[in-house]
Amino acid sequence: MEAVNWLLINGANAVLWLWGLVKSLFVTLFGALDTVLDPVLSPVFAVLNPICTAIGDAVYAVLGPLPVWLGLTVLSALTGVVMLVAFRYVSNQTAIGRAKDDIKANLLALKLYKDELRVTFQAQGRLLWAVLRLQRYVLTPVLVMLLPVLLGLAQMGVRHQWRPLHPGEQTLIRMRLAEDAGNPIEVQLEPNAGVVAEVGAVPGGGELVWRIRGGKPGRHALRFNTGGHVIEKELVVGTDFQRVSAARVGPDWTGQLFHPAERRLPGDGPIRSIEITYPGVDSWIYGANWWVLYFFVISMAVALLLKPLFRVRF
Amino acid sequence: MSEGNDGITRRKFIRVAGASGVSSALYLYGGCRGGATRPGKGGRSAANGKKVIVIGIDGMDPRLSERLMAAGELRNLAGMRDAGGYSRLGTSIPPQSPVAWANFITGAGPGVHGIFDFIHRDPKRQCAPYFAAAETIPALDGWEVGEHKIPLAFWPFDHQPAETVLRREGTPFWDYLDEAGIPAWFYDIPSNYPPSPSRYGHVHCLSGMGVPDLLGSYGTYQHFSEKTIVDKTEAGGLRKPLVFRNNTAKAKLTGPDNIYLQKPIATTAEFRIYRHPSKPIARIEFQGQTVVLKEGEWSDWRKVEFELQMPAFMPNESASGICRFYLQEVHPDLTLYVTPINIDPSDPGGQRITEPANFITRISDKLGRFYTTGFQEDHKSLSNKIFTDEEFHQQADYVLEERLNLLDYALEHYDDGVLFFYFSSTDVQAHMFWWDSDEKHPVRSAEDTKKYANVISDLYKKMDKIVGDIHKQYGDEATILVLSDHGFCNFRRQFNLNTWLRDNGYVGPPDAKSLLDPRRGRLVDWSRTRAYGMGLNGLYLNLAGRESDGIVRSGERDALLNEIRDKLLAVRDPVDGQTVIAQVDRADEAYSGPQVSKAPDLIVGYHRGYRSSWTTCLGDMSEEVFSDNDSAWSADHCMATSQLPGVVFSNRAILRQNPSLVDVAPTILQEFGIEPPGTMTGGSLFTSAATASAAAG
Repeated sequence: MEAVNWLLINGANAVLWLWGLVKSLFVTLFGALDTVLDPVLSPVFAVLNPICTAIGDAVYAVLGPLPVWLGLTVLSALTGVVMLVAFRYVSNQTAIGRAKDDIKANLLALKLYKDELRVTFQAQGRLLWAVLRLQRYVLTPVLVMLLPVLLGLAQMGVRHQWRPLHPGEQTLIRMRLAEDAGNPIEVQLEPNAGVVAEVGAVPGGGELVWRIRGGKPGRHALRFNTGGHVIEKELVVGTDFQRVSAARVGPDWTGQLFHPAERRLPGDGPIRSIEITYPGVDSWIYGANWWVLYFFVISMAVALLLKPLFRVRF
Repeated sequence: MSEGNDGITRRKFIRVAGASGVSSALYLYGGCRGGATRPGKGGRSAANGKKVIVIGIDGMDPRLSERLMAAGELRNLAGMRDAGGYSRLGTSIPPQSPVAWANFITGAGPGVHGIFDFIHRDPKRQCAPYFAAAETIPALDGWEVGEHKIPLAFWPFDHQPAETVLRREGTPFWDYLDEAGIPAWFYDIPSNYPPSPSRYGHVHCLSGMGVPDLLGSYGTYQHFSEKTIVDKTEAGGLRKPLVFRNNTAKAKLTGPDNIYLQKPIATTAEFRIYRHPSKPIARIEFQGQTVVLKEGEWSDWRKVEFELQMPAFMPNESASGICRFYLQEVHPDLTLYVTPINIDPSDPGGQRITEPANFITRISDKLGRFYTTGFQEDHKSLSNKIFTDEEFHQQADYVLEERLNLLDYALEHYDDGVLFFYFSSTDVQAHMFWWDSDEKHPVRSAEDTKKYANVISDLYKKMDKIVGDIHKQYGDEATILVLSDHGFCNFRRQFNLNTWLRDNGYVGPPDAKSLLDPRRGRLVDWSRTRAYGMGLNGLYLNLAGRESDGIVRSGERDALLNEIRDKLLAVRDPVDGQTVIAQVDRADEAYSGPQVSKAPDLIVGYHRGYRSSWTTCLGDMSEEVFSDNDSAWSADHCMATSQLPGVVFSNRAILRQNPSLVDVAPTILQEFGIEPPGTMTGGSLFTSAATASAAAG
């Protein structure tokens, strides 16, 4: 038993050490990647985001009269159709068809010749090859559709992930500062009808944090004054379904991707981001986190249903 | 404390071993099939619309109630009184809450339910103390691997994990209701932790007094301050130092012990405090959560996770609880109070505080998080001068507010059957704020004494309003009972029973300082000790054949008990010559039932104003027998039963002469046409003794 215990403990320690190493490698790699990609992609998103937000506003204005769950269902179904059509024209349907036929044929071979060892092995090899080919043919349209889908999801996120702050409801505003911002930095949250500033700002850990309550309903521009220089952040107070921007970020392409509704902050200023902790939308269909699942289920289901109609193979 | 959370179950083991999904699916299937319970509002039950509502107001005193009724300040209760629905209510021997509420629960005395004091002693270990109402039995076996010892609670190992068991014996009256199909709902019921099971599923119960915090204590606050130099453990709390650099400090919340270690040590959860350099505001950051507070503000409930380190090849376990932060001071020295880590009602883990187990999450789904410890008002913080009077009052008010929300929930989910709701505020706040004489208060100025004594009167008025609202809502459609377990009085002077026993030659040697704790000084010599005190009212003989080092032979027992009783009754306070002890009961005379053997041999009942000293309860001796009580805990009820009756009000006439707590259970059963069992010693409050005997004849 002693030996078993020793093996278990030391084996697990070794695995944990390796896992830690891999994790730190990934962190370093992604950090380096961000450094390279930020200057390239951040300006791209700075241009794309306002366009996408305008489109998002228009789409949701059309869906506005519908109940939110129905609006999301319609949008998901339409997205499913659009993706299906896009897939048809972007992908090599002939090659995909061949790969799928090969898969079917080799599966049949496996079933028919299960007593023939040589044929079985051959069929397994061909099956594997056909699957890999299919993956490759599918990869191209997936890559093509990735950006539009991500931009679309980001637009849906700012409507389904968070809800506006209710009047009187308490939350936090967190301002992340640049490392070279200097300490302490004086930032004043200017009076605004949309907000009741209760406590703050409390500095520390490279951040300033305010505790606020929602004030008058509406879409408000909070103004943060740093020695005469003013930075704005949108605050939405209300009880209805609205677009909500949880963060205004600096030149950081991943942040911009997920928080597309506001202009990026200047990269040379002392402020990296301003976040408002909005409550999540409370619904098992269109609420926080669930909406993504619902969107994929509906769009995939519609795509699968309409696949024969559009004569698409995947 | 760690019921159901200690053993590695088959499920966990399978998960760790990476066993097939089929096994997990089968397990889930089994799990999903069980445990369905009936929701609150529903169709008619076997109660057929009959309603009995019992409001338990701990420590509501008859003298103050009568005075306020006379002054016209308790109109609703006075209305019940005027209709014949009021009486003083006999309490238990001794008048301690766990004993008294167990009398209520079983309709019988301590000889049946086996709770004789907050603290019992184990004679097999001479006089080792333990909590009377519940006991945690540690895991005995386990897989010893490195520093860990993991109980594997499945075949072929079948290790017994640690578990907490209810030590209250006897049959609770709700078992008879359960059997008859009558729904019964209990909120914060004392002396029922862990909650007794409902065999037929008609009983819903949230345990009250007796429920521990996550540390396994009755409530351990944590107090962080720049004024504190070193870590300090005190009764009811932990004090920890804070050191700020650049207005930032790191600190650790203490969590439960890691019971998977062979030598369990406390887990911790780190947090940071950022203080504004000049303004009285600060920010607390922990586990992805941020709390921003002004000086003098409380946070809402926050969930804290404590990681229980496991062997490297297993994933770590965690225990989570909830706490609130109170920023007492920011400048010049930051001081932060953290409530005891309560069991999270929205995610209690393996801690079972309700019957059925999911009742707590159902309540929490509606109400959010709330105090779950048995003692919710943090009186220890006031006693230890962490809180000022006002701060304690504020915290206690918050507790009451939460309880009123719970009452709303209770009433909303109640159709018929029995509804019991318990208020602790009247008891705990009375311990700290009660004062009903012109004598000087131990810790308060005359002005403050009066101000805070009025807090108790105000509380009584709030209770009166609650009763009035319920009466208005249900009218005579429901039988309403409002009762307390005992009364209240000042606690001016402390009597050290063990010192008295030593000075009178019953404890030896003459310079002994403690029964148990060598840090106090010389321990008693059990070969020279014939009697000892343990708990708040208990006196035990050091009996041969019972105590492991007993010396008193059974033939000497009676004479010795009578001798000590006579001497105790003759004790006078040297300061003013007042009689100190009003009543001394012999267990063999006061109690009957199968549990009498656990009882103290004598139960010492003090006069108003006197109580056993703080030190004697766990066996320590002081220089003098008498001392002034200099604690903020300035009122009490652990005196003589005859001195501190409780109250009972009803919207029906109370006909029983000299009613007592044991009469309530038979009353409730008879309201539903259930004949009380032979173990219940009382009778219905609504029947006079003559009617009862005529009916019996």
